[in-house]
Amino acid sequence: MKNNIIEIEHLTKRYGKHRGVTNVTLAVQEGDIFGFLGPNGAGKSTTIRSILGFLNYEEGKIQVCGLDAIHNHEAILKNVGYIPSEAWFYPEMTVNQLLQMSADVRKVDCRAEKEMLCEKLEMDVNRKINELSLGNRKKVSIICAMQHKPKLFIFDEPTSGLDPLMQNTFFELLSDYVKMGATCMLSTHVLSEVRNYCNKVGMMKEGLLLCTDSVENLTKSSAKRIRMIRNKEKLDYLYKGNMNDIYKELAGYDIQDLLIEEPSIEEIFMHYYKKETSDVNNMEA
Amino acid sequence: MLTIWKHECKSNFKILLIWSLSVGGMGLLCILLYQSMEGSMKNIAENFASMGAFSDAFGMNTLSIGSLKGYFAAEIGTIHGLGSSMFAASIGISILSKEEDAHTAEYLFSLPLSRKKIITSKVAAFFSAILGFQIICALLYALGFFILGETPGTFAFIAFMLAQLLMSLEIAAVCFCISAFLKKNTPGVGVGLALTLYLFDLLARIVPALKNFIFLTPFSYCNATDIFSKIEASGWSILLGCLLLAACLLLGFIIYRRKDLAS
Repeated sequence: MKNNIIEIEHLTKRYGKHRGVTNVTLAVQEGDIFGFLGPNGAGKSTTIRSILGFLNYEEGKIQVCGLDAIHNHEAILKNVGYIPSEAWFYPEMTVNQLLQMSADVRKVDCRAEKEMLCEKLEMDVNRKINELSLGNRKKVSIICAMQHKPKLFIFDEPTSGLDPLMQNTFFELLSDYVKMGATCMLSTHVLSEVRNYCNKVGMMKEGLLLCTDSVENLTKSSAKRIRMIRNKEKLDYLYKGNMNDIYKELAGYDIQDLLIEEPSIEEIFMHYYKKETSDVNNMEA
Repeated sequence: MLTIWKHECKSNFKILLIWSLSVGGMGLLCILLYQSMEGSMKNIAENFASMGAFSDAFGMNTLSIGSLKGYFAAEIGTIHGLGSSMFAASIGISILSKEEDAHTAEYLFSLPLSRKKIITSKVAAFFSAILGFQIICALLYALGFFILGETPGTFAFIAFMLAQLLMSLEIAAVCFCISAFLKKNTPGVGVGLALTLYLFDLLARIVPALKNFIFLTPFSYCNATDIFSKIEASGWSILLGCLLLAACLLLGFIIYRRKDLAS
């Protein structure tokens, strides 16, 4: 049984009258790459920012590596590498100065790891932050989060602003760290990232956690995609129900072609975000 | 903590140099001009001393502008008081809010340091900047006295600089406390507050009805003409200044430690 690296129990956070997240309970296990999905304003960043101690929450409990997120904030952050959705740093500093400052605060010699990361991400450390494009600032953020080889990565849309090649490099690096024992919680809008790189997924909508499961289980959910040619008419829909009933339903028709398959992660995502969940039974493509 | 203090000091260094060299340089220039103006100053000193409310406000009824003591208190004392209060206010008001305004709070607070340590480092950095400002200005004024070969009185000068240091710290602490509530860096608020307190001091010296409330402004205990005339500052105003300084720092700490950080 793997240990839980992040444990959130009944987290509730409000911004005055506005909703943040309500009663979120989830766990990220050691060695997981946990994909955190949801549309804008779903509460992903609120959850992440609560874990990191940026926000004071009203109710609930968060534990990271067995430590309370409020009382052991400093100890937790020693083992965390965080990439914010928007990478902002002190504009007058050079990349090298910034990375050195991060290493100095942590009291860790990160030079070897920094050099390796800068080489892989093609980062010139002598450039000033205010000369960097959005993508390059993101690279600095990645190096900052990885150079001290933390046990836990918390990424909020880490690939936004990166070109496809750099996105691949980023995920290669992440895979290497996870192989070495790290854990990652990755908030993203990009479903292919979850499909290709995550083993677990959590979906949020309007401040509520809709589900958490392995990507494998989720794609093997009760809904099936059915594609068929029936009476020369093409049909394509998601079916949720007893599989035996489908044969009874099709019995009276002339079926020219029939394909029953697992729905894609994109379809599952859309299914959860559709307001009318009853659409699942007869969702015309 | 030391890393954050160093970083803050570095980021304040340019503004410290600009303000201290401007204010201190202006003071030095005024001191150097004293010799050439000494003769004519003696002639107009009497006129300045009998200008009623204006003389009261600038303390020229107690000191002669014709002497270095009076000239320093009236000219350089005013420039220095205004300069150091505005510098302290601009540093204090931005010390916390600048992180959220520039979106750097997320980076800073993701470092493995408690908020208490980060705020302490920042407070230590603005205390250092204010102390640096007073030292640079004092050295420039001392250089002026050295070139001039005359001083307005060493003890009074040290007392004046120390009172200015306390006044600057008090204003910076009030602004720091305000900064804990702000999400935007608004130096205008701090500078406005400093100027209002200065104006209140001037008015309280002129308007009899306000005289009893002069202790409310920190300019009351650091007034150059009072110090050089050896008029003792009200113990209440100094006590109030120290209490306000401590209370504002404490309140700023409490508010910022509980604050949700903007992304």
